[in-house]
Amino acid sequence: MSVIVIAVATESGVPVFSRKKGTNENVQFSTIASLHGINMFSKCHNTSMVSTYIDNGAILWKEYCQSITLIGIVTGGLECDLELLLSCVHDIMIFCVGKKELEDLKNIDQVKRDLRQCYPLLDYMLESLDPNTVSSTLPTLALDLIQSILCSQAQTLQQALDHYAESVSGRWACLSIQGHLVSTSSDFHELHPRETRLLLLLTAAQDGAPLRETPVYLPQMSPNVAFRAITCKLLADVYILVVCGATPPLSQIDEIVLQCWESYAQMIKETKLVYPRNFPMSITFEPCVLGILVININNRRCVFSRHLHPPSQKGRATSGAHRMDILRTFYVTSCKELVPELKREADAKDPEPLAIMNETYWCSEYHKYHAQRSQTLLCCVLYTATVQIHTMRLISSQILQDLNTSKDVYW
Amino acid sequence: MNQYKRKITEESPCDSDNDWTNSSDDSKYSDSESSVPEWDSDVGEDGELVYIKLKPVEVHEENKTPLLENCETFRPRSNFKRSSTRRSTKGRIFKVLKVNKTKNTDDTSKKHLDQGTSSHNTPSTSKNYYEDNYKFIVVQVSKNMIFSSEKNCQIEKLFGISLETHSDNKTLVVVDFLTEARAIYMSKVKKGYFLYKINGIEVNSYNINSVLQRIVEDPSSPKLTFQMPTEEQNIFSIESLLVIKGAPDNTLTHVLNESMCSVLYICCNDIEYNSNDDKGVLYCYPRPFNQNFLYNTRGAYVTMNHLAPKSLGTSEPISSTILYNNILINVTYTSHYSDLLLIAFPNNDIDLFCAKKLIIEIVKLLEFLYGSLKACFTKPNNVDKLDGLFSRIFVTLLYGNNSKSNKNILVEDVLAAHSITLPLDVRVQVDDAITELEAADYREWTDDIDNFQRLYTVIGSCLYYSGHLLSSHLQDEDLKEINAFLKLNGVLNMSTVKEMEKLVMWKEVFIHEHRKQSKNDNHEYRIPDGRWFLLVVGKGHFILSTLMEAGGCTEDAIGVTPPSPFYVEECESCLELLYEIGLDKYMSSWVRSNTHPQLEIVPEYLTKYGKKIKEINSLKPESSQKSTLKISKSPLEVKKRHSSSEHVNTASNTSDNSISTYGSHHNLYSQWYNGQKYRHSNLDVSYSEDSNSLKSTSEKSEERVQGRRADRELRNRRESSGSDSDWDGQEGSRASSSIDMSDIRKSLLNEINHVTIHRITAGEENVLFHFIQLESEKGILIAPVKNIEAQSNNILYSFIIKTFRSACKKIHELLQHSIRFKRNHAPANPLNKILVAVKEYGILFQAPMEILNQCGINKKNQETFQFWVVGRVFSEPEPRELYICYHESIPQDLTEVAYLLSYLE
Repeated sequence: MSVIVIAVATESGVPVFSRKKGTNENVQFSTIASLHGINMFSKCHNTSMVSTYIDNGAILWKEYCQSITLIGIVTGGLECDLELLLSCVHDIMIFCVGKKELEDLKNIDQVKRDLRQCYPLLDYMLESLDPNTVSSTLPTLALDLIQSILCSQAQTLQQALDHYAESVSGRWACLSIQGHLVSTSSDFHELHPRETRLLLLLTAAQDGAPLRETPVYLPQMSPNVAFRAITCKLLADVYILVVCGATPPLSQIDEIVLQCWESYAQMIKETKLVYPRNFPMSITFEPCVLGILVININNRRCVFSRHLHPPSQKGRATSGAHRMDILRTFYVTSCKELVPELKREADAKDPEPLAIMNETYWCSEYHKYHAQRSQTLLCCVLYTATVQIHTMRLISSQILQDLNTSKDVYW
Repeated sequence: MNQYKRKITEESPCDSDNDWTNSSDDSKYSDSESSVPEWDSDVGEDGELVYIKLKPVEVHEENKTPLLENCETFRPRSNFKRSSTRRSTKGRIFKVLKVNKTKNTDDTSKKHLDQGTSSHNTPSTSKNYYEDNYKFIVVQVSKNMIFSSEKNCQIEKLFGISLETHSDNKTLVVVDFLTEARAIYMSKVKKGYFLYKINGIEVNSYNINSVLQRIVEDPSSPKLTFQMPTEEQNIFSIESLLVIKGAPDNTLTHVLNESMCSVLYICCNDIEYNSNDDKGVLYCYPRPFNQNFLYNTRGAYVTMNHLAPKSLGTSEPISSTILYNNILINVTYTSHYSDLLLIAFPNNDIDLFCAKKLIIEIVKLLEFLYGSLKACFTKPNNVDKLDGLFSRIFVTLLYGNNSKSNKNILVEDVLAAHSITLPLDVRVQVDDAITELEAADYREWTDDIDNFQRLYTVIGSCLYYSGHLLSSHLQDEDLKEINAFLKLNGVLNMSTVKEMEKLVMWKEVFIHEHRKQSKNDNHEYRIPDGRWFLLVVGKGHFILSTLMEAGGCTEDAIGVTPPSPFYVEECESCLELLYEIGLDKYMSSWVRSNTHPQLEIVPEYLTKYGKKIKEINSLKPESSQKSTLKISKSPLEVKKRHSSSEHVNTASNTSDNSISTYGSHHNLYSQWYNGQKYRHSNLDVSYSEDSNSLKSTSEKSEERVQGRRADRELRNRRESSGSDSDWDGQEGSRASSSIDMSDIRKSLLNEINHVTIHRITAGEENVLFHFIQLESEKGILIAPVKNIEAQSNNILYSFIIKTFRSACKKIHELLQHSIRFKRNHAPANPLNKILVAVKEYGILFQAPMEILNQCGINKKNQETFQFWVVGRVFSEPEPRELYICYHESIPQDLTEVAYLLSYLE
């Protein structure tokens, strides 16, 4: 499998950057020019290339801000929404350099240089698409979902985060463990889910620095004015992130962090134990459940777990990473259909009443997959192959019911 | 010479439940040997032939023709007289005749006109037809108004319109309105409309003056009836497109251009590119070039096609979706060496899924007709023919579907040849008839077998009824190509919508085996270096296409090869035979019967509310209109497994357990006609052994008249009583006393009334809404009849089917991963290893509230209506996909459903 993302200045045709992941060779300059040429040529004839399919893949052109054209090429049977990927790439670009600079493109060389700082984020995102590397780094399940951990401590931690955000005169703060969102300040939902994802990506791409500030442009909220994103490492793999204005200075924040979080050290350690199960212990699963992905549709958060049972029988049959890839593929290919809200507005226009999809399942040679939606929760479950379809349906709805009623679940 | 006798047609073309008197046209066959077939003058210079004669839609009084004549048409097959025998000298005379004929172009074109009018039903012959189908506008003009006419023309003075005669010299066409009169007409009548009636009197150029005279004398205000011109429908009529020999009409080309359908063939190698005037474009339709969007933007696709494999290392592009003038268009690619074929369809009519499948079919068809893509587009003087072909393809795909509800092309039509499961004994009879044709017993045809070599060997044939494949004796690839030929040319569609009097098509083709072989020579079992021809013969709703080979043991076909009247008649007689066994009537009732397997076409009945309704309905039998539903209530009659063959026989209401294959179809009614059984099976067997053996039938010809009459009476009785139960059971057995049961042709007819209902889903109630079983290797899919939606006439059902079809596309695409992987263990492009393992995919849908409300399911109930669409692939021995749609209330196991379905096959 391979993914290539190329950015070209629309007017001038100057290549801005090209990132790739996978087995493909690097794309040559002439190829980039030809690809751009195809798009420009069809534009001259009042047509626009929406998408092109090749065997096992696709090529897509997308123009953003009327200044940058992104070209995406994906091959080799990777199931991913190329359009979504390109819009994420564009978000990252705005996140790093701001919308204004991308629109103007007066000094292309300057923009090219500035965009270099988003390479780590880009590479990180492309890398996480590859199923084979999922185990090595912090995973991305789906481009449009925020990976989270469900724990009983979330509510208490929220108070701490609120307090912390207040003391640094910011509004939005969150706590992440292993790149998973654990808890947020109460105003955090004001941020667009995609912005949240970018912030989490930022923490994840942060290579262990204890305290760091990054100027960020929030693509939806303030694409032209930069905020200050401050990430602070509390414990190994535990970060708190806050978005705030120019003050207070970093040195002062260091002290505030200590004040605010000292007393929570024990609790955070406890919370850390929830990983990698990612669900509170009060929620139990049938032995036939091999993996689960629960999605809260309203705030685009998801919880994935493949370590549902005590580690007595080590998962020899399927490696954990594989299970994750399976569930992700299932989600991207089929389950997304259950959630029309997640679709982009563009293709949501259909005057005729459509059937509401409630459940979907796959049977493969080795597993069974089942996805069921109940109001705002969608759960995709990976079962052993021996489970009957009607049993799957029962278990899945039981899980959904548990999650809806459990007191330990706090999204 | 051809005193063609009007046939007795009782019903509309859709349900051809006609009397079997219209089976054969004896007067023609009894003609002297020297007769020239009626299609002879239509044979083209290249020997190809398309001849269509549709049955006019008319209502005739019954029994207009003397009884004796009807009788004659019952002459058994053994008496079937040929107008031609297989004599090679005669064939040559024919050829000479043909050359003369084609030279006389005037004659041909004239014939054409005749034919055109006959197929379009001129108003004079079929009034009723027109009144049903065309819109009329009535305008009342005040008598007091007198318009000032410069030309002092009576019509202008009276009505304020000026008329002209149509090209047929008869119809009156509105050319203009006088200024004062414009206000009266403009809202309703437009220029170009026909003036049809004045005061209810039909007018034409001959009688207009006398009619006007009467109007002047008549004090009351005249009433004018205008008729909308039918041009718009006519340009899409596939039968005229099929017959056309030149380029298609400009209007049509324009319409197609507007609709964003397009085809383009470009050669991309340097030599040809530079030598060609149009920069390598060898073919483009619709023209002119500069108005064709595909032509204008071809650079993008050519670059794409070049770039993807060479620079990006991916496969060649399959499709591009483009937005042009706010219309989403799917452009599909096929490359042939360095050349590129592009075909574009508007996404609204043909989505990407269908477009991808269709280009494969179109390429298959072009190769089948011309040998290769290159040959197709470089063949000299072929542009007109290609224009005709592509206009037919586009018209069929875009405008062929008459049903308004789903404008889109159906998934069943795109995937493979739509076949239906007939009971075994019916299939045996059908196969038998075709096999006889294929066997081509030479001794039967000519006395002088030593001197006359045969012209062709039949290498296979297939039979369609109303677009459903009934039987195929072809190789898989040949079937796929012939199916593509019939489908894309609109022949299948035409045979569904219209009833044909006669259809003959003859074309040279390049069969798959031959095309593939020429690459690797010197194989031990080569097929001969011959030529192949496709002969399509149609009658009623039947289409029989036969693939013939000239080469090997036959006489060599050299030069222009027109159809041999002898072989055409041979095929016609095969269809005659099917009519004789009553297959036409059997099929028309079969198509409406919904039994094999039975579907639940009233989905509301599965809800709580619906169950109540159903109960109420069942209490008063008059109100229940659907016989199938009524039958389904009595569990005894429902057989879950098919028992007409030797297979599992669960329900034991049939008394006999005879295992003989031939006896089986008698078993079904042996309980009614025990006494006759011996004669029956005897006849059947003898018939299958020897085609000449229907003598016992001919002996009974007088009784048969009785039988027919009795049959008609019986039908009348059934119709008048309105209840369906009297058609079977006791009534049937009583009738049997008057019907001669030895009449083999009745066998099929009777059986439909006693056919067992088959269910393939588990549970007490039938929860099956629809199914598709696809065998892509064979190019066959089995699905319920095409008009099942019309039969149901139910909003909820239509909704379910629509959802089912779109879900099927999704499931089909996913399952392809597994099929492709199994077919090719080391694919060039790595496949997603997770998707490769998926073999079943199910989706649960819920019908939206507004649909349920429209069906009258109570709002108070708040009952949801959920149904599954499940698809599964069975990979052994050949990939076979099964898609079913059923109500959620009873879980189903697809393996079991597939198993039960296989017994129906």
